[in-house]
Amino acid sequence: MESKFTEMYQKEPAEEKDGACEQVADMLDSVVDGEASADEQKFFNSHIEECVNCFESHQKQKLLKGLVSGHLKRVIVPASLVQTIKAKIQETI
Amino acid sequence: MSEQTGKQLSKEEKDARFEAELLPVLDPLYNFAYRLTLDEDDANDLVQETYLKAYRFFDYFEQGTNAKAWLFRILKNSFINEFRKKSKQPAKVDYSEVEGYYNTEDVEGDNGVATTTDMRSESVQDLIGDEVASALNTLPVDFRTVIILCDLEGFTYEEMAKILDIPIGTVRSRLHRARNSLKEKLEKYAKTMGYNS
Repeated sequence: MESKFTEMYQKEPAEEKDGACEQVADMLDSVVDGEASADEQKFFNSHIEECVNCFESHQKQKLLKGLVSGHLKRVIVPASLVQTIKAKIQETI
Repeated sequence: MSEQTGKQLSKEEKDARFEAELLPVLDPLYNFAYRLTLDEDDANDLVQETYLKAYRFFDYFEQGTNAKAWLFRILKNSFINEFRKKSKQPAKVDYSEVEGYYNTEDVEGDNGVATTTDMRSESVQDLIGDEVASALNTLPVDFRTVIILCDLEGFTYEEMAKILDIPIGTVRSRLHRARNSLKEKLEKYAKTMGYNS
């Protein structure tokens, strides 16, 4: 697959104006979020194998999601919070 | 399915269930609160308020259903109804300061291999996290919210729609716009990650 893409990069990008790229662009979020249907996923996969621009957009979208899910630091819950919550609940009932 | 059907839970049963089903969500809930308020004290208050409400309305929670989504929804409503008005302005992180770091010669210079190695070091990983956080914090709260729910907490579109009280179509379009906005802010930085190589 990699050599196929390398080959594609060396060619002039195909002047695809048939709307498939637009459809794929609309699917980017649902694909990276695992929300695309099986048919959509199939269409998407076969398109990005042939379209360098859409392949690239897909990579970017995955990178973006990965930056948030993989790099955003989680804040540490204050140790006393659970006890405070339990105490407040007992106070109010 | 629900054990509570036809009988009122005793206080002990209620406390035990509350503790077993809702308290384990504390960590993601606190993180969500922090990302909304951008302030630790405000996050603390918001989470306390959320759990108090959850306890009060615990009889409406159906055992075995999605406790995390239920609590997130309560917290989001509390934030919108009461908190948002009084919460402080988001702290503005000096973006240019971090940005400047990545524009040093080491990153843009010809020492490509060393740069790639450096990108894996812990301190750089921390900086990536800081960069993502500061970019995210500058987004409008509605945009920030969908990105956190989806990418950090892994909620499905359907769950997000329920948490936010909006149609799934709106979840999709809001997420799309939010990501475009974040992408714009991080674009320069993404290049330093070697995306273009």
